[in-house]
Amino acid sequence: MIMRAKDGRIKKKNGLLKEINDNKILYLMCLPALVVLLLFCYIPFTGIWMAFTDYNVVDGIFGSKFVGLDNFRYFFIGNSMARRVTYNTLIINIFCIIFGLIIPISIAIFFNEVKGKLFKKVTQSAMFFPYFLSWVVVGAIVYGFFSTDVGMVNKVRETLGLDTISWYATPKYWKPIIIFASVWKWSGYNSIIYMAAMAGFDASLFEAAEIDGANKFQRILYLTLPMLKPTAVVLVLLSVGRIFYGDFGMIYGIVGNNASLADAVTVIDTYVYSSMKTLGFSYSTAIGLYQSIMGLILVTISNKFAKKINDGEGLF
Amino acid sequence: MKIQKSFSDRLLTTIAYLFMGLFAVICLYPLILTLSVSLSSEKNVAIHGYSILPQGFSLNTYIYIFAHSGKKILRSYGITIFVTAVGTLGALLITTMISFAISVKTLKYRNVIAFLCNFTIIFSAGLIPWYIVCINYYHLRNSILALILPSIFSVWNMFLLRTYFSYIPPSLYEAAKIDGANYFKIYYKIALPLCKTGILTVGLMYALQYWNDWWNSLMFINDKKLFPLQYYLYNILSNVNAISSGLVPSGAAANIALPAETVKMAVTIITIGPIIFLYPFVQKFFINGIMTGAVKE
Repeated sequence: MIMRAKDGRIKKKNGLLKEINDNKILYLMCLPALVVLLLFCYIPFTGIWMAFTDYNVVDGIFGSKFVGLDNFRYFFIGNSMARRVTYNTLIINIFCIIFGLIIPISIAIFFNEVKGKLFKKVTQSAMFFPYFLSWVVVGAIVYGFFSTDVGMVNKVRETLGLDTISWYATPKYWKPIIIFASVWKWSGYNSIIYMAAMAGFDASLFEAAEIDGANKFQRILYLTLPMLKPTAVVLVLLSVGRIFYGDFGMIYGIVGNNASLADAVTVIDTYVYSSMKTLGFSYSTAIGLYQSIMGLILVTISNKFAKKINDGEGLF
Repeated sequence: MKIQKSFSDRLLTTIAYLFMGLFAVICLYPLILTLSVSLSSEKNVAIHGYSILPQGFSLNTYIYIFAHSGKKILRSYGITIFVTAVGTLGALLITTMISFAISVKTLKYRNVIAFLCNFTIIFSAGLIPWYIVCINYYHLRNSILALILPSIFSVWNMFLLRTYFSYIPPSLYEAAKIDGANYFKIYYKIALPLCKTGILTVGLMYALQYWNDWWNSLMFINDKKLFPLQYYLYNILSNVNAISSGLVPSGAAANIALPAETVKMAVTIITIGPIIFLYPFVQKFFINGIMTGAVKE
């Protein structure tokens, strides 16, 4: 029995070596990318151990004192930041998903309804443009609107005889501003994906519906929307899988490290970054691990849903 | 009935025009605002605030910037251009090779390789372990490589490209193999030329990512000589934000030289200048590229 198992394994190993030898060139072509992943994704996994230690530079990752779950305890119970940053991350992402669904689909549908070629060209160019800007640039633009002294919004308020607001010191406005900025930046890009799906629709269905007397509203409601559903479901599930990940660049580019707005806009990612500087590597590693595990759970769930809806084809 | 139907159709068309027009304006307005402020005179902006038409049109801000910090900006430009060029070429080489290899259906372990890639987007070690490894083992602090290597391979782009490569009929490869070509030759003689759209689209995505990146500089760079353009702008703005929040005591605020409003907006325009310039040429092409890649199977 044992011999046979051994034989089998050797044979299999030969098979592996033979396969690699046969397709040497193809495997070599994969190598650079795999090395990058090894360096920047797989080797860092060893650092997860830091979450269970009190890391100091001298003793290194594995020499530092083991503290069990203390870092997690502090995050969830000690300073109760867990609730706040998770709440901020989820709220911002949920609204981004909702508007990121409604607006790009509307753009794609309305794009089909307008006729003027020039109008189409100009509007699509305009809508796609924000995608090309970095969050730092978006931050500069947001500043142009909400700066207390010279910002556009306050100047308009002055003209209307209203009090000026010091936006950058008032936390409650910033979740909506950030959500708006995100929708502003991504809608044009995402609408293209829906347009691609619509380009593949069977035109004869729409002609038949028209002959049967369906007006445009009905055609959109009973044909276009149901046919867009699979694409929308995949995109939504992809974002649900990433719902525990805040967009660091977006938050930091727009708000920076403005301490008076921190309560309202600190998401898990920005909290990891800022606590790295103040509360140490071990603590922030623990938060990162919490985020990765929640992310893994949600990706698994949304993948299951995707399989159910898409006849066995998952997201990954 | 007939009239009612055409009325509702016309209503829908009107709504479509309004929605598209309005959203397009919302998308462009901030940019025009930024441009016009950068072309205004500082004095007028201080009095009237930002507005959509330049007030007291002047190029003084741009002249001022190039006279006072021209060297710094040109240097940052140089860094950004270098990082974008080298990064994009390197990333394209790495990404096209692996996407081509795993698009070959006879490659036995291609699913294993795809899984190794996939797993990194599903589960990650998090920021801190990544940072520690980069700093302690790879010594990326204040190295220009820190701006290139960490983002040189994107799994998403690989999957996009794999879709393109998988459209190529395998019979083409077989024919080339009979003629004595090996897979590397097939890759650059057959596969690459056939997937030009996909490669250029992904190349643009990488270029955009490198041009707009300031995350790697935030993590690894504190030597001002290595600041890329975006990070240069970020630093100007973050000083301003700290002061606007009112948390910096006014005495201290007085000591920090506040970059003038027009300067901030002019630097913003300088940062996105090449994008504005190239946008008309790449836009349509980019849209086609994404549309083709987005349609699976």
